[in-house]
Amino acid sequence: MRDWQPFLGLPLWAWLFVFPTLLAVCCLLFRPVLRPILSPVWRILDRVYLASGVIAAGFMVTILLLIVAQMIARWSGMTFHGSTEFAGYAMAATSFFAFAHALSRGAHIRVSILLNINNFTRFWVDAFAMLIAAITATYFARYAVKTNFLSEMLNDRTQGQDQVPEWLLSLFSMLGSAPGKWSEIWANTGSEWVYTPVWLPQLPMSIGTVLLAIALWDNLTRLLTLGETQIVGESVE
Amino acid sequence: MTEIYATVIFLFVLFALLGSSVWIGLALMGVAWLGMELFTSRPAGDAMITTIWTGASSWTLTALPLFIWMGEILYRTRLSEDMFRGLAPWLRWLPGGLLHTNIAGCTIFAAVSGSSAATLTTVGKMSIPELRSRGYPEYMIIGTLAGAATLGLMIPPSLTLIVYGVTINESITKLFMAGIFPGLVLAGLFMTYIIGWHYLRPDQRPKPEPPMSFGQMVAESRFLIPVLTLVFIVIGSMYMGFATATEAAAVGVLGALALALTQGSLSWSTFSQSLMGATQTSAMIALILMGAAFLSLSMGFTGLPRALAAWIDEMNLSPIVLIAALTVFYVILGMFLDGISSVVLTMAIVEPMIRQAGIDVIWFGIFIVVVVEMAQVTPPIGFNLFVLQGMTRHEISYIARVAIPMVGLMLLMVVILVVWPELATWLPNNIRSGPG
Repeated sequence: MRDWQPFLGLPLWAWLFVFPTLLAVCCLLFRPVLRPILSPVWRILDRVYLASGVIAAGFMVTILLLIVAQMIARWSGMTFHGSTEFAGYAMAATSFFAFAHALSRGAHIRVSILLNINNFTRFWVDAFAMLIAAITATYFARYAVKTNFLSEMLNDRTQGQDQVPEWLLSLFSMLGSAPGKWSEIWANTGSEWVYTPVWLPQLPMSIGTVLLAIALWDNLTRLLTLGETQIVGESVE
Repeated sequence: MTEIYATVIFLFVLFALLGSSVWIGLALMGVAWLGMELFTSRPAGDAMITTIWTGASSWTLTALPLFIWMGEILYRTRLSEDMFRGLAPWLRWLPGGLLHTNIAGCTIFAAVSGSSAATLTTVGKMSIPELRSRGYPEYMIIGTLAGAATLGLMIPPSLTLIVYGVTINESITKLFMAGIFPGLVLAGLFMTYIIGWHYLRPDQRPKPEPPMSFGQMVAESRFLIPVLTLVFIVIGSMYMGFATATEAAAVGVLGALALALTQGSLSWSTFSQSLMGATQTSAMIALILMGAAFLSLSMGFTGLPRALAAWIDEMNLSPIVLIAALTVFYVILGMFLDGISSVVLTMAIVEPMIRQAGIDVIWFGIFIVVVVEMAQVTPPIGFNLFVLQGMTRHEISYIARVAIPMVGLMLLMVVILVVWPELATWLPNNIRSGPG
């Protein structure tokens, strides 16, 4: 399959699925050794999840502001081109950025009958569930990133009326290219507005799904190393 | 033959994953992935992201986080105390007395929040201790509360109806309007049950409340009036066609913030808590929706839903029999899954079936909500049971037992809906037309 072509000499699926699984097994086998090594990583990741949750919350406020702006524009007889598209993009960003954060807070729901039978199932069923979830989420993330790159390569544009200023695009393409090319990018940047290229609103999808996959592998290693799940407060609906 | 083979594999893997406590959204995604790889030659991953991206960035879905946020804000205000104090003076005259605060409180909170658990906690936090101290029997307090809190799913704004509307591409405003009368009728049924208890079990009645002047009654309920005003603005603006569901939700959030501000309960911490809480809940639902979108795509490729619809058509079932069968099916499913998951999980299969049978999809939305409401109070998995267990320290089995009469009333509601479908369809057919 072309989608899994080699990366650094090994097929991509080995990097994405096999190595994290091996890491998880190591966590189970060498608990005392890995625990001090992984602890600082966990602390950093916790902050990353929280930060992405805060970004998600910011996008939720953005939805509210966009809709209020749209209503005001309508009442005052103006038109706000592409407001529904922008609200949709903000919606996607809210969901994707919040995935990892929601996971660590136990907001994602699941059927926990088997989990609650006894301590044995609490550990092993949870480990199995996390492994399956982590593999699925990694698959999700892999294709989200691929689609994002394809949208950029094909220069896919929005179907709606929404436009963004060109400098915003340049800002993001700057982050994705070598510093030597920066001056060239800005030299070609005009001051006009262009129809939104799809890759821009898709960035949160790539980031959010990758974070979700990392969060699941991360929680699996925590479960195996520490012996109990670190997802606190399994909340209800 | 492939279809039967496919069905068996889909169902087996699905229940294996759900049962082994994989998060519901990811379990749906995993099953869909497997189905695509096994039964089609399509590139699974690319098709998956196209579907998910279209769904996740849709304008209709934006009503969801905003309505969740509105409920979260009001949940963190002093509404809980005001609700009991404000309602008690008006309801004490009814046979059955203050037990009616459970029903009326849930009905009102359901109209500002789409979640059953939030409704339950908000109303129960005050009404359980107050009713207990007045000597109402425990089984009536817990039972009526468990039942009435499910109104949160039916009375707009309802998260379940938003999810249903997004899944089958129908107007959320229409679904909301359809939910109003059935919600009120169901509340009426619960109240009738309390009145029945009052006359059948006179020995269990507590002492009547002391009299109170009209002025006092109004003074006690002064906090409730702004909430009711907010309800009328949000629902009214949708009905009159001034606002789409999303816009009404935005108005609701602003109104809730203003209400919390004037009440003095809006601090930075309650604001950020409500915002983060809403973000998490909406992400949870979004992940399930994404999994379900991919699953319906995957099942669509196998031809399973079409085959099943054709099969139902061949059997020549009358709509009544079909509805009866679906009721049983959803009640069983609801024992293990929450409402939103049962809806998204089944719609890919059920939608062609009901369209084939000529059943109104708006009506069906209300039907499905009544049925999944039962899921909230049926063991072994029922969210209201868990919440009540946390609040009262009763055994789940006890709570489930005292809620059984409420489940009976909900089944009666299904019958009422079948006999008088206009209850759900009249209002949405008479909305003033407005934007989008």
